[in-house]
Amino acid sequence: MPVRIQVTPEACTGCRLCRQICTIEKFGETNPRRSRLRIEAMFPAPGRYVPHVCDQCGDCADACPTGAISPRDDGVYVVDDELCSQCGACFDVCPEEVLMKGDDDVPFKCDFCWACTEVCNTGALVRAE
Amino acid sequence: MVPGFGGNTLRIDLSGGTVTRAPLDPAFARAWLGGRGYVDKIVYDEVPRGADPLGPENRLVVTPGVFSGHFAPSGSKCCFGAVSPLTNGPGDSTVGGHFGPELKFAGYDLLVFEGIAASPTYLFVDDDRVELRDASKYWGQGTMDAERMLKEDLGEDVEVACIGPAGENLVTCACIGHDYGRQAGRCGIGAVMGSKRLKAIAVRGTKALPVHDLPALKASTLEIMKRTAQHPNMAPWQKFGTAMFIGWSNEHGVYPAHNFQTTYFEPYAGIDGQVLVDRLLVSDKACFGCWMNCGKYSKVSLPGRDTVYVEGPEYETGSLCGGNCGFEQIEQVAYVNWLFDRAGIDTMTGGGMAAFAMECYEKGLVTRDQLEGHEMRWGSIEDLEHFVDMLTGRRGIGDAFARGYAAAAAEIGGGAERLTCQVKGQGMSGYDGRPSPAMLLSYMTADIGAHHNRSWTITMDEDLGRDVLTGKAKVVVHLQHIRPFFDTVSCCRLFWGEVDVSDEEHIEAIRQMTGWHDFTLEETLLLSERIWNLNRAHYIERNGGPGRKHDYPNARFYEEAVPTGPSQGARLTLEDLDLMLDEYYVARGWGNDGNPSREVLLDLGLDACVANLEREGLIGSLTAPLPPVRGERYKPKAF
Amino acid sequence: MVTVLIKAGGSLTEYLKPDADAYTRRVEARAGETLRQILESIAVPPGHVAAASANGSLVALDYVPKDGDAITLVPPVQGG
Repeated sequence: MPVRIQVTPEACTGCRLCRQICTIEKFGETNPRRSRLRIEAMFPAPGRYVPHVCDQCGDCADACPTGAISPRDDGVYVVDDELCSQCGACFDVCPEEVLMKGDDDVPFKCDFCWACTEVCNTGALVRAE
Repeated sequence: MVPGFGGNTLRIDLSGGTVTRAPLDPAFARAWLGGRGYVDKIVYDEVPRGADPLGPENRLVVTPGVFSGHFAPSGSKCCFGAVSPLTNGPGDSTVGGHFGPELKFAGYDLLVFEGIAASPTYLFVDDDRVELRDASKYWGQGTMDAERMLKEDLGEDVEVACIGPAGENLVTCACIGHDYGRQAGRCGIGAVMGSKRLKAIAVRGTKALPVHDLPALKASTLEIMKRTAQHPNMAPWQKFGTAMFIGWSNEHGVYPAHNFQTTYFEPYAGIDGQVLVDRLLVSDKACFGCWMNCGKYSKVSLPGRDTVYVEGPEYETGSLCGGNCGFEQIEQVAYVNWLFDRAGIDTMTGGGMAAFAMECYEKGLVTRDQLEGHEMRWGSIEDLEHFVDMLTGRRGIGDAFARGYAAAAAEIGGGAERLTCQVKGQGMSGYDGRPSPAMLLSYMTADIGAHHNRSWTITMDEDLGRDVLTGKAKVVVHLQHIRPFFDTVSCCRLFWGEVDVSDEEHIEAIRQMTGWHDFTLEETLLLSERIWNLNRAHYIERNGGPGRKHDYPNARFYEEAVPTGPSQGARLTLEDLDLMLDEYYVARGWGNDGNPSREVLLDLGLDACVANLEREGLIGSLTAPLPPVRGERYKPKAF
Repeated sequence: MVTVLIKAGGSLTEYLKPDADAYTRRVEARAGETLRQILESIAVPPGHVAAASANGSLVALDYVPKDGDAITLVPPVQGG
C-alpha cells in the first residue's frame, strides 16, 4: 500500500481530535467512541500515547467468509454491509484492533479520508506516500 | 432537551444510597449556563447557612458545562464545587483532561451529591446505568494508583476523578485528581468528597452529543485551528506550557520566594520551563479536543528515591513549591509536585503551607517535637516529604495544618498568623501583590479567597504604574466578570488569552452548539456579575459581616517591604489596601463596609439575597450612585 | 549586521509592527546586540515580553541573536 497514515507515537498528546473528527466526518455526530482509530494511553508509566490506525493490511478481508470486506482499486479495504453475515470473525484478527463493531454487529473501518491527519497538530498522524 | 448539553441530571443521596435522574431544565440551563454557574446557584439555594462543609448537608456539585465534549477550542473542563471547608464560603475548582467530556457523552450535565455514605463508595456512571459501589479496595490509595486500579477493574476507556488519602482524612486543602496528574485543586473540594466517603466518580459515555449546527461548528473550529496554529504564541505554549513564565516572574520581581518573604529567587533558572523540557519531559499531554497541548508529563528521578511520573510542574507549582519552599532543582520541584498529587493535596495551598511551616521552623516558632523529631528546612526534600505525610495523616502539628491556616497559626502562636500567605484561608497563588497592587486587590476580593484565576493584573499594574493605586479597581471588577465566563461554559481560557480567539468566536460557538441565537457576551457578563454577588451574599451570610473585614491578607502584605530583587522596596500600607477596597466597593455597587447594596442585588434579580441579608442586617448602603456599568475593559496601552 | 526574524502575537503585535507577515518583523541589528537592546531599538518594551525563544529554546533578554535567528516573543499570561 503506497499511501498510509504514518504514525509517530512520540508526538501524540492524547487530545483525541482525530477521534472527534473521524466520527463527525463518517457519522455526522460528535462521539469519539464511534471513530475508526484508537488512542492507547500508557499511564502512569511510561507516560505515552500510541495511536492505532488501519494500514489496510487486509487481514480482516482474509478472515471474512462471505467476501464482505474487499479492497477498492486504491487498495483501501471497505465493508459491504449487505454481504456481511455478522459472524464476527474479522474483529479478532485486526492487528491494530481498529476494526470497529457497529450496533448491528457489522464492522466499520477506516477508509483513508485523511480527516484525522488534517486535524492532528503535532505530526503524530500524517498522510504519507 | 437543549442541544449542546448532555440532557440529564443526577441527584445522589449518599446517606440513603439512592440515585435520581431527571432531565436538565432548559430554563435553568440558560439562566446559569453550567460549570460554576450551577455550582454557585445550587450551593446557595440548598446548603443551610450553618451547615458544616464536611457534614451531610453540604452538596458536592459536579458539572461539565456546555463546551465540554464538543469539537471546539478546548471543550474539556469539569467544575467541582461545594461550600469550601477551606474558606467556609462558596467554593469551586475546575479540572481539564477528559472527565467533563465523558460525562457529556454519558448524557449528563449535573451531578449533585448530598449526605454521607455509610462506607467508602464510588459512583459508576455507565451511560444510563448509574450505581453506587463499594470502594473499600481503593480507599487509602493515592490518586494515581486509585485511578489506575479503577481503570483496570472497569475498563481503560473509563474516566476517573478521585481523591487521595488527604481527602479521605478531611485535610481542608485536599483536591480531586484526574487523568494521572490533573486536579480540581482549589477550595478543598477533595475534603468534601472525603467527608461523604466518596472515593471516586468513574464515567463511561458512549452517546452522541447533540449539536444544534454541527457543520457550522466544525467549519468554525477548523478555521480557528488553522489560524491559531500559525499564531506566534502557539508554538511556545505547546512546547513549554505555563512553566515558561518562571523566568519572567522573577525578572519582574513578583515571584514568591521563601514564603513570600521576598519576590526574587536567584537560582530560578534551575526550575524553569526550559530545564523541565530538557531534563524531565516524557510527553506533551493535552486536554480533550485541545491542540495547544500545554500539559507536560515528566519522569523524575531523585537520588535515593523511586522514579516517579508527574504532570507538571506548572507555573503555580513551580513557584509555590519551587522558590517559595527554597527548591533549586526542577527534579526536586517535580518530586514535590508528585508528593502532593499522590496524596491529593492542592500543590498551591500545600506549597504555601509547607513554606509557612519552613519559615516558622527557621524562626523557632515550630520545633522538632511538633514535627515528630524532624526538621522543616528550606529546600529539603526529606523534610518536606515528612511534612506532607504528617499533613495527609493529620499527625502532630499536621492536624492543625489540615484544619487550615488559621488553625495552624493558632497552634504555633508567636504571631505566626502574619506569615500565613492567604486570604479567607485560601493560599495565595504564585504572584506577590506588593509590587502589583491590583493583584493584591484581586486576591483580597476574589470570592474563593486568594486565587489568581478570577482576575490577573500583573501586566496591567506595570502598564498603569506599580505605584498607582487608583483607577484599577474597576478593571479588576471587569476581569472578575469576563474570566468566569470560561468557568461557566467550561472551556479553557488560554485560546482567548494567548492566541487571540475572540470573545465573539466563543459566543458564536455556543450559539452553534445550543441553537441559542440570541446568546450574547453581555448575557454572560451579567451572569458573571450575578454569580459574583450571589457568592458575596453567601459568604457574608455564612461568615458574618461586614464583608470588608474578610477582605484583608495577612500582615506581611501591608507591613513588610520586599527586601530584595527587582521589586526591592515595594511596600503597601493598610491605608493603601483600604483605598483600593473603598474604590472597589464603589465600582461594585456595594457599601463601604463591603456588603452588597439592595440596589445592585435587585438590579441583578437576586431578591433572595436581599431578603437573607436584610434579615441579618447585612445589607450595604451605597455611598455613591450605583454605576450603570460595573467594571471597565482594559486595553493595554498602545505605544 | 545580523538579520533577525522576530515574531509576536497578542498584545505585542501593536508594538512589533510586523512587516514580513502578519506576525513577523524582520530586523537588521548590530552584531553583538542583546535581544533587550534590539527590542528597545524597535520600540518593543522588553517589560512586555514574558518569555522569548530563539530557534525553539527559551532565552533570556540578554541573549545575543545570531544572523538568521528566528525569535518568538511571548507576552505575559493575558489578564486584560
